[in-house]
Amino acid sequence: MAGVISATNLVKQYKALTAVDGISFVINEGECFGFLGPNGAGKTTTIRMVHCVSPITSGSITVFGQRAHIDNRSIKMMTGVIPQEITLDVDLTVYENLRVFAYFFDIPKAEARKRIDELLSFVELDAKRNSKISELSTGMKRRLLIARALLNKPRLIIADEPTTGLDPQARHLIWQRLRLLKRQGTTLILTTQYMEEAQQLCDRIVVMYEGRILREGAPSRLIEDEIGREVVEIRISKDEDTRLVSELADVACGHERAGDTLYFYCKDGKGLMRKVVEMNLPNVLNRPATLEDVFLKLTGRSLIE
Amino acid sequence: MNLSYRIFYVFLRNLISYKRFVVPTLIVSIGQPLFYLLTFGIGLGAYMGSFGGKPYLHFLVPGVLVSSVMLSASFECLYGTFVKVVHERLYDSLVATPVSAEDAVAGDIAWGAFRGLIGGVLMLGVAVVMGIFPASVVSVVLLLVLMVFVGVLFGSLAMIVTSFAPNFDFFNYYTELVITPMLFFSGVFFPLDRFPEWMKTFALFLPLTHAVNISRAAFAGQVAPGLAVDFLVLVALEVAAFYTGIRLMKRRLIE
Repeated sequence: MAGVISATNLVKQYKALTAVDGISFVINEGECFGFLGPNGAGKTTTIRMVHCVSPITSGSITVFGQRAHIDNRSIKMMTGVIPQEITLDVDLTVYENLRVFAYFFDIPKAEARKRIDELLSFVELDAKRNSKISELSTGMKRRLLIARALLNKPRLIIADEPTTGLDPQARHLIWQRLRLLKRQGTTLILTTQYMEEAQQLCDRIVVMYEGRILREGAPSRLIEDEIGREVVEIRISKDEDTRLVSELADVACGHERAGDTLYFYCKDGKGLMRKVVEMNLPNVLNRPATLEDVFLKLTGRSLIE
Repeated sequence: MNLSYRIFYVFLRNLISYKRFVVPTLIVSIGQPLFYLLTFGIGLGAYMGSFGGKPYLHFLVPGVLVSSVMLSASFECLYGTFVKVVHERLYDSLVATPVSAEDAVAGDIAWGAFRGLIGGVLMLGVAVVMGIFPASVVSVVLLLVLMVFVGVLFGSLAMIVTSFAPNFDFFNYYTELVITPMLFFSGVFFPLDRFPEWMKTFALFLPLTHAVNISRAAFAGQVAPGLAVDFLVLVALEVAAFYTGIRLMKRRLIE
């Protein structure tokens, strides 16, 4: 697979704040690449520089062989953006929203009509064709944003937290649509705070924190490397930490204390669990390791404001 | 300046959304100038006798015409644009398409000018109904061109204000301290001849003064050499305001 998007030493500075602090990455054609990170990690700022709506302070990005910058219309021509916020045109109907965007992309009249019909059925909004935006549910609005992002048949789709605020049904529908697009060969960039979403959709992810990339890799690989296969959670007072950690040292490969819980990470939970059961500890949970564990381990379990 | 033909697409977007507001906005854009014509023109005009051999309304109409363009274009690029930028976040999705920030802002200025033109044409219609006719067809064409010109000028000036307005209330400074005084100091309602010198000098700095001079001459079909100055001042201001308005709005939109 060939790298179609690459960023080198990318920096974004807003006055005193460094939002993106010298990151580099390469995204291959046809893959789904995820940016994970807590609020303010720099995910949205990074992708805004990729699709040429935010000026780059230093470093560079190339998208399909072209250098990204604020006035690059041809990158925008090939890119579909599903924004984090619902930026639909509330003065227009569902159909008109798409019609106006078709103008923006210079799509000829007959072709625009055809694509709008196809897209409305793709996102299951045919029945809402002439509705006002205020008459749509949040899930419908998100689907319309997807349809809008696909009007120009983009080679690259950028989805910035596309399922925020949706119920499980709506979320699964959007995941299915995004997977379908990926199967058709579209390159996808996704930012998300939902680990399940990243595991469902992404071939590779980076975990961002305070403007830097902490880790990069396939979700399963990252879990294996950072956490192991299983996690044992013990809800127990902090005073017991030293005793437990030394007693379980030979069966666990790592541990972490967060609030009322002590977490043990291990390649195989069986040995650890046997010992924990022998010790007769209360409130113990043994479960498979998830991306969420990686995320929390890397970005900290405390609240990020 | 990254401008392109896509300005027209932004204009078109405004036109499509306009069909839902067309009735209320027509009423608003005709209401205020009509009120000036009736109260000043007929009410006050009854006491004024004639102005240069014609009834007062003949003096008043050309001035009110360009003022109504000024008001419509200004309000569109203040409140209209602010809603689209801040409340509806419309520009955020616009600049992610091949439409540049400059195209978007210029499209809104063009739209403001169009709204001004509608306001002006409605006024012209009212004047004709009241029996006040422009001198000739050439006069009408000149007036239409002037209206578009004045619309772009005041749309651009409003865009400069919108570029740093934190909220709606901020626009009051501009409308109450700039637009309203301009209406009274630019020779719309009475000639500037009898003003003290300093006030005449002050009026020269108001763009509306020059627009009113040209409008009055075009309406009456009387060309005078002084108009060249008015024209040059307007062109210079228009170019500067258009450029500055777009630059400043771009700074607000792209960070």
